Amino acid sequence: MNCILEGSGVKAFGKAIHALSRIGDELWLDPMVKALALRSVNSAHSAYACFLFSPLFFLHYSLGSASEQSSETIKCKLAMKSILPLFRCLTSIERNVERCQISIGTPDDRVMIQFFCRHGITKTHNLRFQESEALQAVFAPHLCPNVLKAPARLLGDMVMHFPVSQEEITLSMTSQRVSLKNYYEGGNDHMKTMCTEMSLHPDEFDYFQIGVESDITFCLKELRGLLSFAESHCLPVSVHFGAAGKPVCFSVDDIVLEATVVLATLSDSESRGSSQPTETLAPSTPKCADAAVLPVGWCDGSKAQDSPAVMEMIPSSQGSPITNLPALMLLRPETDDPNGRGVADEAFASATLSPASSMICSLLFRASQQDDDGRAARLPVLACYSDEEENLEVDNTRSPSL
Amino acid sequence: MKFRGKIIDIACLNHFTRVITTISKLTKTCVLRLTPDNLFFVLSGKVANGGVSMWCELSQANFFDEYQMEGVSPEDNEICLEVTPENLSRALKTIQNAKAVKVKLTKKHCPCLTIAAELPTLSSISRVVTHDVPVDVIPRRLWNEFKEPSMPDFDVSIYLPPLKTLKNIVDRMKNLSNFLVIEANLSGEMNLKIETDLVSVTTHFKDLGNPPWGDDASQDGGPSQSRDPEAMAQARVDIRKLQQFLMGQQVNPSKAMCNIVHERGRPPDSAA
Repeated sequence: MNCILEGSGVKAFGKAIHALSRIGDELWLDPMVKALALRSVNSAHSAYACFLFSPLFFLHYSLGSASEQSSETIKCKLAMKSILPLFRCLTSIERNVERCQISIGTPDDRVMIQFFCRHGITKTHNLRFQESEALQAVFAPHLCPNVLKAPARLLGDMVMHFPVSQEEITLSMTSQRVSLKNYYEGGNDHMKTMCTEMSLHPDEFDYFQIGVESDITFCLKELRGLLSFAESHCLPVSVHFGAAGKPVCFSVDDIVLEATVVLATLSDSESRGSSQPTETLAPSTPKCADAAVLPVGWCDGSKAQDSPAVMEMIPSSQGSPITNLPALMLLRPETDDPNGRGVADEAFASATLSPASSMICSLLFRASQQDDDGRAARLPVLACYSDEEENLEVDNTRSPSL
Repeated sequence: MKFRGKIIDIACLNHFTRVITTISKLTKTCVLRLTPDNLFFVLSGKVANGGVSMWCELSQANFFDEYQMEGVSPEDNEICLEVTPENLSRALKTIQNAKAVKVKLTKKHCPCLTIAAELPTLSSISRVVTHDVPVDVIPRRLWNEFKEPSMPDFDVSIYLPPLKTLKNIVDRMKNLSNFLVIEANLSGEMNLKIETDLVSVTTHFKDLGNPPWGDDASQDGGPSQSRDPEAMAQARVDIRKLQQFLMGQQVNPSKAMCNIVHERGRPPDSAA
């Protein structure tokens, strides 16, 4: 893959990387025919972000050499620590960098990023990458009952009332208003925490659709990166969500790019989602509520799906059988796989949403089930972790290099 | 116990916010005393505060458009609350463009000062932001500690030079010594001195002007008329405390006064 960015595109690209760095420690770079995808997921697998840059965004965009098979595009994973510093100071990039060239070359497992700056200075950076399957969330925003669309400014104004250190926030929607309040765990600090709440009238939004009244709690910190990106590009932000426990999706798009952040939400044990299969087959502790499902799959593009290496069936720590997600979760048609077959597999992983939370939100990594017919959709296993050891165990199994 | 206040003027809101932000830089918690005419922010000079005490008196009419309060009882028509000024400051800072701000004493999960702001929007319906700042009610038996401190008999009273200048100097002196001697006389001269084994540094200020206590002095204090105008009154203070005071200043006072009690082991009071 080889692409060239110019001028303000470099700054936008850098801003995307900043937003992604708020999410996770690793950056997945996936050059596809229709777009260059930059993705990241957090270690708890409760937040996922994806930035898609269409070829129009670039001065030049090409995938591989003609001799290679089109399916042989390299998908790579970079450490955020190695790429973020290159784009850290956006103002100086804006001032100095005229062009930026990014190329991924097979021979030596490196991503080369070259900045062509003023005064004839060229900076070349070679970053090692790990070859990896592409990361992709399986989430169908069009199935979400609640939709909001607002200028980035509005959302920025809403979150500004909350301190930067505020971890989690609760968004409530009724037909009369939309409100945000800070979420805090009960406990010692309970008495001393300042509670902030703000509410807006539906008229303030460009688009307001309410299917179900709900209160969703998600991590605000992870969202701020996207909001800042949207504000700098003056793009409206769309929010898709449903009942508590189901993921919330924030997205912005324009002609040349599309950005999405999907966050898991805390589920409420009282509101065990009606649309979410909830029975857990694992022996659950009382505090294990439904998990917020962030289906994220390893998508293999057009590669044929037989290799067992791709099948990552990770048993839940409770020893429950592995089940397949019901067809509710559709695979987003993001792969350029002509057969429309995704990777037929899932790995279950769960982790806590936030340190403060005693409700567990688990994420299912999966792809669509093409061979699902005949098999009765069984309920997903929601493994509940309350120990760190179990978390570690999961992290180990979730090694992406298959 | 009831309290409700409403601020509608943006300049008043701004000034109020700046006062509270200044206080938040000085101390983590302080006492808010509400009376029918005034609000007081008090920090009593206990050992826990390092001997720093603060008394801030705000006339409610200068800030609030509406102000109603009912104290603990008709005889003790006051309310004393322990607050964290940083929370108040944070709550106020983001609502500077509000159409109206209401402050109320409420009881949520604990007693709170609820700050509710109506923010302007493009549509006809305003946005509402509410901050609940937890407070502790201080029982009557402890109210003695928060009375207005009496101004001691000072020997010299002088207007301070611009606080920014003072801050720069004190910042640099802090690197050399922990204690600073402030001395001033009635001729408008003031010196800041530090002395260590290796070095001594003095900064001189002239023509500062002395506040005219004179006949207006209704307090016990008031410089004795017979004092030699050139004689310096000195006091030794901890530099870090002085620096803390100077750092927080956001109010841009028109006048800052320093009253020195000569070598009494009592730090000077500064009033803005």
